[in-house]
Parts: sequence; C-alpha cells; structure tokens
Amino acid sequence: MDVEFQHISKRFGSVQALSDVSLTAKQGTIHGLIGENGAGKSTLMKILTGYQAKSGGDILINGEKIALKTPDDAAQIGIGMLYQEPMDFPHLTVLENFSLGCPVLSRERFAASLKHLAFAFGFQLAPKRRVELLTVGERQQIELLRLIHCETSVLILDEPTTGISPAQKALLFPALKKLATEGMTILLVSHKLEEVASLCDEVTVLRHGNVTHHTYAPFRFPELLEAMFGAVPEQKEKPVARATGNAVLTMNNIQAGGERQGLELKNFSAKSGEIIGLAGLDGAGQATFLRLAAGLTIPEQGDMQLFSTKLPTSKKASRIAGKLQTVFLPADRLEEALFTDISLSEHFSLRDPKSSFWQKTETNRQRAAEAIKTFSIKGQYDDTADNLSGGNQQRLLLALLDPQSKLILLENPTRGLDIRSGQWVWEYLTQTLSPEACIIFSSPELDEILHYSDRILVFYDGDIVLNSLTAETDHGSVAAAMTGMRS
Amino acid sequence: MHKFFTGLAVVVAAVAFVLSPVQSHASTDTFTFGLLMVGPSNDHGWSQAHFEAGKEIEKNIPGSKMIYIDKVNPADRPGVTVPFLVDDLVGKGATLIIANSDDMKDGIREAAMLHPDIKFLHISGDDAKKQDSPSNLANLMGKMEYGQMMAGFAAAMTSKTGKIGYLGPLINDETKRLAASCFLGARYAWTEVLKKDPAKLSFKVSWIGFWFNIPGVTSDPTQVVKNFFDAGADVVISGIDTTEALIVANQRKKEGSDVAAIPYDFLGACETAPDACLGVPYFNWVPGYTHFISAAIDNKWNKEWLWLGPDWKDMNNMMSSSIGFQNGKALSADNAKALAAFSTGLGDGTVDLFSGPLNYQDKTVFLKAGEKATDEQIWNLPQLLEGMKGASK
Amino acid sequence: MKQLIQDIFVAVSLVFGFTSLVLLIADAPVLDAFKNIWLGSFASTMKFSQVLTVWVPLVLCSCGLLFTFRANLWNIGIEGQIIMGAIGGMAVLRMPGLENPALILSLSFVAAILGGGAWGLLAGLLKTRGGVHEIFGGLGLNFVAQGFILWLIFGPWKRPGIASMSGTELLPLKLWLSSPPGWRVAYAGLAIAITALILTWLFLYKSKLGLKLKAIGKNPRAAVLYDISPEGYYLLSIIIGGAFAGMAGFMQITAVYHRLIPAISSGYGYLALLLVMLAGYRIVPIPFLALFFAGLNVGSIQLPIVLQVDSTLSGVIQGCCVLSALFVLGMRQRRKQS
Repeated sequence: MDVEFQHISKRFGSVQALSDVSLTAKQGTIHGLIGENGAGKSTLMKILTGYQAKSGGDILINGEKIALKTPDDAAQIGIGMLYQEPMDFPHLTVLENFSLGCPVLSRERFAASLKHLAFAFGFQLAPKRRVELLTVGERQQIELLRLIHCETSVLILDEPTTGISPAQKALLFPALKKLATEGMTILLVSHKLEEVASLCDEVTVLRHGNVTHHTYAPFRFPELLEAMFGAVPEQKEKPVARATGNAVLTMNNIQAGGERQGLELKNFSAKSGEIIGLAGLDGAGQATFLRLAAGLTIPEQGDMQLFSTKLPTSKKASRIAGKLQTVFLPADRLEEALFTDISLSEHFSLRDPKSSFWQKTETNRQRAAEAIKTFSIKGQYDDTADNLSGGNQQRLLLALLDPQSKLILLENPTRGLDIRSGQWVWEYLTQTLSPEACIIFSSPELDEILHYSDRILVFYDGDIVLNSLTAETDHGSVAAAMTGMRS
Repeated sequence: MHKFFTGLAVVVAAVAFVLSPVQSHASTDTFTFGLLMVGPSNDHGWSQAHFEAGKEIEKNIPGSKMIYIDKVNPADRPGVTVPFLVDDLVGKGATLIIANSDDMKDGIREAAMLHPDIKFLHISGDDAKKQDSPSNLANLMGKMEYGQMMAGFAAAMTSKTGKIGYLGPLINDETKRLAASCFLGARYAWTEVLKKDPAKLSFKVSWIGFWFNIPGVTSDPTQVVKNFFDAGADVVISGIDTTEALIVANQRKKEGSDVAAIPYDFLGACETAPDACLGVPYFNWVPGYTHFISAAIDNKWNKEWLWLGPDWKDMNNMMSSSIGFQNGKALSADNAKALAAFSTGLGDGTVDLFSGPLNYQDKTVFLKAGEKATDEQIWNLPQLLEGMKGASK
Repeated sequence: MKQLIQDIFVAVSLVFGFTSLVLLIADAPVLDAFKNIWLGSFASTMKFSQVLTVWVPLVLCSCGLLFTFRANLWNIGIEGQIIMGAIGGMAVLRMPGLENPALILSLSFVAAILGGGAWGLLAGLLKTRGGVHEIFGGLGLNFVAQGFILWLIFGPWKRPGIASMSGTELLPLKLWLSSPPGWRVAYAGLAIAITALILTWLFLYKSKLGLKLKAIGKNPRAAVLYDISPEGYYLLSIIIGGAFAGMAGFMQITAVYHRLIPAISSGYGYLALLLVMLAGYRIVPIPFLALFFAGLNVGSIQLPIVLQVDSTLSGVIQGCCVLSALFVLGMRQRRKQS
C-alpha cells in the first residue's frame, strides 16, 4: 500500500506542531522520518495511527482519501505500529501476547503461526514464557511477529533500536528488509542517522513541524544534518574564553543508571572558570551527568571528587555537594526545583542557610522584594511559584542561587524562555556571577551550546562521544556526534 | 486575625445562648426508669430478656415508663461511657437506672456517686454488700445455679458416653459457680439416679474468653464444641450467650451422631434447633424488677443485694419465678419425669447439692461432711470442684 | 470570601439533604432527629461538657494529623498511636512505689507521648528505610497495637481472677483527672487541647519547621536542592503526629474510661482523619469542626433513646459530611484549573 500525506497540519492550542507536511511512503520501501526532538515526527505518526486528529490536510491510501478517526480505523486498514516501549501485557505468556488483537483462531493455530514466523525471522521465543521475564528486544520481536501475523501492511517503527542489544539489532534489520521486499510499507522514525542510512530507501527530514528535506539513498550526511539542525549559523561575536584554574569536578570510571542507557564515562575533569556545554539528543546521558555532579544520582561504580573532596556514595552526597557550593538548576523547574503553593518570600526563607526557629517573614519578604526588583521578576512576594511564568520561574531560581556558588549545573537554562529572557539569563551567569565559577549546562539548542561554552561534551546513548574545546570543533562535527556518527 | 476573633465571639455568644434554657421536665405522676443494655435489645439472649422484662413492667405497674439504650459497650458506641448515658437518661426524667451487665460495674458505681438522688440497680455484682458503696446502688441477680443444676442433670441423664462438655465464657466468680452447679447436677444424676460409677463421668470445661465469639480475641466456640464431640462427648452445655453448641450438635445429629446440647439464658433459645435441644435454663427479670421499682415508687428503697431463685411451684411462671427451665424436644419423656422429680427435690430441700463432703479442684476441702454452703460461699466460689476438668483461673 | 461562603452553603445543604434522605429511608422523623441531636449535645452545660470530652481527643489527633498531612503523609497509623499512647500512660499509672498523684500523672503523660511517638517513628522507619507506604505500614501497626492491647488486657494486666473485654481494673480515684463540679470534662484535657492548637498553629504557620514540612509535602525532589532531607522530616512529622495521638490516648485513660479497654481509641483517629480532610488541612476550622463532630457523636445517642432510631445513623451523617466536603474541595480544584 502507498501511504500519502497531503498538506497535513496540526495545532495544539497556539502551537503549530505540523504545518503543510506532505510525503509519500511507497509500497515495498522503507521510508525514514528523521528530525530532532519535537520536530513533529511522533505527531505525524499519531495522526496516521488514529490516536490524534489532524487539523488540516488529507491522508491517502493507494490514492484514496481515508478518514482515521480512531486507532481501530487504522488497524482495520492494516496500519500497525511498533512502539519504543513495547505495548504488551507483561503477565501473559509469549503465545498469549502473540494471540491478542487478531481475528479469533484456535490456540493450536496461533502456536503454529508463532513457531513458523519465529523460524522465518530467526527469532528464538519460548511460547510459554512470561513476557515480563524477557528483554525489551525480545518483546519487540513478539510485537513485530504479532503485527505481521495480523496482516499489517503499513508498519511504523518508533526508534526501534533504543533498548535492544546489538545482536537483536542484527536480527531486526534483515527482518525489516525482508518484509519490505515482500511488499510491506515501512515507516521508520529515528534520530540515529547511521541506522537510517543502512535501512532506508528514502528519507524525509522534519524540522519545527515542516518538511525541510527529502532524498533517496545513498544519503549525504552533511545534507541531512543541516536539514535536521538548520543551517550552520554565522559566527556571532563569541564571548571571550574565560581564565581557568584548579580542578572543580573530576570523575573516574563512572557507571550510573538513569535515562535510557544510563551513563558510562572514563574520566572527566572540569576546572574553575570553565563553561562546559553538554550536547546530545534527549535522554542520551546529559541529565544523568548533571545529577551525578550534584550528588543527586549515586553512581553504581567509580568515584567523583568535588573540589578534591570525595563524594560519598550515599544519600548524603547531595548535601555535601551543596556544602561545597555546588548548585543545580533542573530543566523542569516546578517538578524539581520550586514548590507549588509556596510563596516567593517563603522560598527565600527555605533557601536561607542560617538555621532559625521562626520563618522570619519580614526579612524574607524584603529579600523577595529586592530580588523581584533586581531580577525583574513579574510577580509579588506573596505570589506562589506556580503562578509565575516559566521565564520568571527561572529568574526566581537564579535569584535563589547563592552568588558565591563555585560549581553551577544547569539543565536547559533557557527552556521556555523568550530570546530576551534567555540572553538575560546568560548575561547574569557570565557577567554578574564570579568569573571563577565553573558552569556546566545542557541544552537541546546546538547554537546555544556553540555560542556560550568554552568546551563541549557530546553524549550519545549513554557515552561521551566527543569532548573538545569549542574552538577546535564546529557545528557539523557536533551534530554528527549527536546522531551517533563517529568521525 | 480580626475576622477570626469576630467569628469566635459569634460562636461563644451562640453557645451561651443555647446553654441558657436548661430544663428537664419530669411530671410527677409517671415513674420513669432507664435501662442500659450491653447488647442489642433483640439479641435472643441476655439483653432481650431484660428488655422484655422492662416492657412487662410497663404493663404491670401503672404509670411506669421505660426509656432505654442498647449496645452499651465501647466497641459499639465509641467514646460514650456509662456515666454519660446515665446523665442522658436522668435528663429524660429517669429516677431509677438499671444496668444489665457486669461490664458496667465501674461506670454505674461512678454514676451512682455523681447522682445521689437517683436509684441504681446493677444486675450481677455485689456493691450493695460492701459498707462503703453508695446507698443508692442495689444489686440483683438470679439464682441461675438451680437452672444450671437442672441442665447438668438433664445432660447426665441423656449421656451414654458419660462425657459432658461445658462451653464456658470467661473465668470469674459467677461463671465458676455456674459451671460447678452444672457439674453437681450431672454428678447427682449419674451417681444417685443412674447409680453409675462416678469415675466414669467426665465433665470438662473449656473457656472461650468472653460471653460471645469475638474473632481473633476469643477462642472460636464452634471449634471448641466440635472438639468436645470429637473427643467423645455426647452432650455439650453452653454457658455463653450465643447458640453455637446447639447448632453444632444439630449438625452432628443430622450426620447420624446421637448427640444433644443445652443452650443458655434465653427462653426461646431452643428454637434455633429444637431437635438437638434438651432444654434451656433462662432468666426472668420481671419479679426482680417489680420488687425494686415498686420499692422506689413507694419510697421503700433499700441498698439491697438480691439473689432471687425459682418459684418452685411453677418454674416457668413469668410473674413469680426469676429462674426457669424450659424442656426441649430432645429430652426423653422418662428423663423429663426424672428432671421434674429432681426439681421438686431442689425445691423442698431434700436435694441440696452444695453440701459436704465436697472438695475443690485442687483437692482441698470446700465443705466437710454434713456441712451446707451459705449463699456467700457459693457466690464467692474460689475455684472449680474436684471431679471437674478445666482451668480455675 | 464570597466563594468560601458559597462553598460552605453548598456543603451544609448537601449534608442536610443527604442526612434527611437517609432518615426518610430509615422511616424516622427528620426534624425531630435533628432537634434531638442538637438538644442532646449543646442544650445543657452538662451535655456541652460531655461533648468537650470527645472534643479534646479529636482536637489532639487532628493537630497530629495536620503535621503529617503537611508533609503529605497519610498517617493511617494514628489509631495504633493512640493505643500505644494509652498503653504507655497506663504502664506508668500501674507502676508501684509512686505516691504523688500529680507526679504519676505527669510521668504518665510523658510516657503516653513517648508511646505514641515511638509507634509513629516505627511507621516512619518502615516508610523511609523499608519503602513500605505509610498507609500500609500504619494499618499493619494498628493491628499490632490492637493485638498488643488485647494481650495486655487478657494477660498480664487482667483484673484479679477475671479476664474481660471490659478492661483492666479501674484506676484509683486519685489518678482520675479532675473536672469542674457539675462538668464532665477535665480541666487538664481542655488546657492540653488548647495548648496543642496554639503550638500546632505556631509550628505549622510561623516556624521554619512548618515551612519545611510544607515544602517536602509539595515537592520532596526539590526539597533536596534546599538541603532539606525528606526522610528526616517525614520521621519528625510522624513522630509529632504520634505524640499528639499519644496525648489523646492519655486523655482516654485518665479522663474518660479511667482504665484501659480494648477499644480505647474510640475510633477517634479515623474520625480525625475525616475531620482534617473536611477542614481542607487547615487549622482554623479544626476546633469548630471537632466540636461539630463531637456534638454529633454525643447528640446522636438521643436517636435510640427518644426515637428508637439506631444511633449508627450518626456515622452516616459523618460520612455525608466528608463526602460533601470532598465534593466541594473537588469543585474548588476544578474551578482553579479552569
């Protein structure tokens, strides 16, 4: 079946998630759909599977317009999706999961089909085993066989290689190619360029909800990267690299859990005065790195030193980090850094390092009022934090931050901020705070990283794949490293 | 803050306003008595017997009126204590309060001290016998010992194995003397009427821990009764308020075993399973209530301790007999005749079971040969008797 | 303010609506029932003082719960904490050798606080060390406490010769908390309850401890960034909660029952949970709502006496109150969101 998207658009409130997206996935081919996080890939696929309604445009199957109002409509037509997290029933067996959601057949028939299909694709699956005991890769295999068995003719794969082993990947790829040659239409959603290159016949690139590129194999990576991340920006006037001093943070042979792949890292060291940018796609390990440094995540292995003090591997780590004047500003401010229903002045009371019995309401109101003035926060001292806008929340966090801090860890510091607020934040960090402070920040915006950091670390699947001075690298290399291409 | 104080002032004013018109109006021509019942007024047992006696009094004594409250125990009415309820009943015009449970002993004593003008009648207990107890507190109890002797007698006459089980509640003076009476009745039937070897009579007492089953707290009476039958007993006498013994006996009888049971303390108890019921000893509170209420009306109240027995002329006369025994269907005609003769003997004094020689369970002497026990001695029986199996404390 | 009055109006109409419906179904005269509950709880000094004996433990438990709710803990274990407080208090009262009643009672008060606090600590440790949710840990500990008190009453602390559900031997008169003449509520109880309210207000609204508890309750993850250890403050709040519950247990043995009985908690812990929810977890409504619930508890005894209606209807009324309150709270929440 040919699947054709014509001028699809989708709005969420004031946000334009997709605008005028057109592309055609032809029968018997594997069509790659690539782009950064938030480019609109998932939204497009949700429209095809009937989970979301489109705001405009048409979907044509074999040249005929179709209405996809519910997921069931899509399934009826033969559209099936293999999700990142397998959508299965962990307490049921392999055979039971395989038998679900298909026309009713006898148990023996299902068992026979499962055996036959598994053999054909080289998957080793014990039918009576409970699914919760299996690896993500094996669960994906069951799901794939089930979709094939249910006569799926359009198969959508969402980041199919996250969480599976290389061996499983080596089984999956030929299976997909085989399915395509047998006449299936396959849509592969990914941000891993190498995988896309080795599998796909055609690729469409989305950026900010628009189609920015469409091309056929063989692919030219620089072309794809530019389409994904935008044109290489002109060199703006770059802040002067700062003077560096003693080691602030060192990490050796760290292994830690968290995010999809955890984090593994040989050795790393940051000096005072340095500004280090952490690049990588969502979930590649930057978040874990920042939390390790803040003592919030305890490494499974390895040791860390903050200002030559070894961090203990216990819950005390975050307190000790705090005592050593390390601060952490998470991206999700209301989730992790601020308190709902608690006023601005009360935040100052909580932050006050001096222990006292009373809350000292007056003092803290004054502090809050001063901060509101200095940091141009739009709000009153008795407003609660959740009533502030994202930008003002970030200003509040910066106001709460001890200006004497020596290691400042920021996760996406300009998230949700307009350009002027973003610039203001950076001005505050680099101009107002002591130039001896070490700043480590992560950001999904490559431009921000290239512009503000003295050094760049690139994370990919839980590893640091690039560690370079900003002056010694460029937009292209960082983008390539982010998508897993080792130069 | 200002608003808070304004609110507070309003509330204080409202409370003061409501508190001002305090009055309770008791008219002079009616006599109101209050009844506190430990269980529900329709429990087919102890509390219902009291409730029905109160209703009977309302009919028999003109101008008398009962107000009552049931389920007076901390589990059913958390936070509500006996003195509080007495306050309530007094507020409603009651001038005599009847408390029907041993459990209310402390509360009723406290209430008697708080309300010296009100008369109190505590069922069971012996405060009235003590010098320093309040003068407005009297005690009433029925001589259930006679009922239990007859129960024991009927059991031993019926038993073929000579093994009798006694399902006891908790251990206190009252329950010890009731179990002992039952044993004496059984032994009399076994040795004096049937002329059998006393060594072949087994009388075993198992205490469950309370007057009825409380899962997790008491032993399960159903299980205890089953154990009796499994160990060879063929009659089980119940000393608890509920009818588990009778129900289990009925099941066993249906399964073909020749067994029977005797329930306790409510006239209608046999109706649960008439085929397995030898009879039931029961309390009738009408005579006792009549005595005290009349005394209160006629200003002849005394701090009395009354222990009323059966009317031997007619044990089942509701107006005169405080203790009754209702024969059951499972009691054979011959045994019924023997039981009637036994009760006549008890009535005319030719049969006196609390007479020597009689030893305690630990073989020390209770009564020497020819000695007869006083009411005091029976009331305060310190332990079970020789020949009985089971715990004395 | 207008909104608040409207909410209260809605809640009150719901309560009376529901209750009237239930009374109609039970075939009871509706107006008479309300009138009798009122007369039976507030219409005389004596009645009002009886209501206050219920009010005191309810207020104490509610104060304790405010601390745990502030930290977003569901201290279901409060029932067990009342029981253990009562046991701790009773252990001192039974101690031989002490003569001065004031001294014995003071020691007993302290022991009750320790007993309740320790039981709270245990629930807290189960949560912070064992990862057992406080609701399940608390329920489990309630059962343990209930078993323990039964064992004491039927075992080592039974009356001479008698083991009975009616509890341990009555305390000597000198160990009863004294009441004003003609009243039924102990001076000490009122003083303790009012002090508890004031202390709770100071701690929760004015001290830094209260603010920290609130912060942890709102966002334990963020608290770590402010150098506030959620574990430590969870423990602290549940210990304080347990200590207040222990005081309630002390009042029950020294001012109400004058002995230890199996149902010593009178279910006030659970009732206080409902009460605090009804109060929207704020302190100002607590004394008034506690008075209302206590009045309902005491006044509803009139239903069986006067109308021969089962007094468990008061439980239905309380349930209606809580449902109505939750309804109004939910309404408020939805209004806020939209």
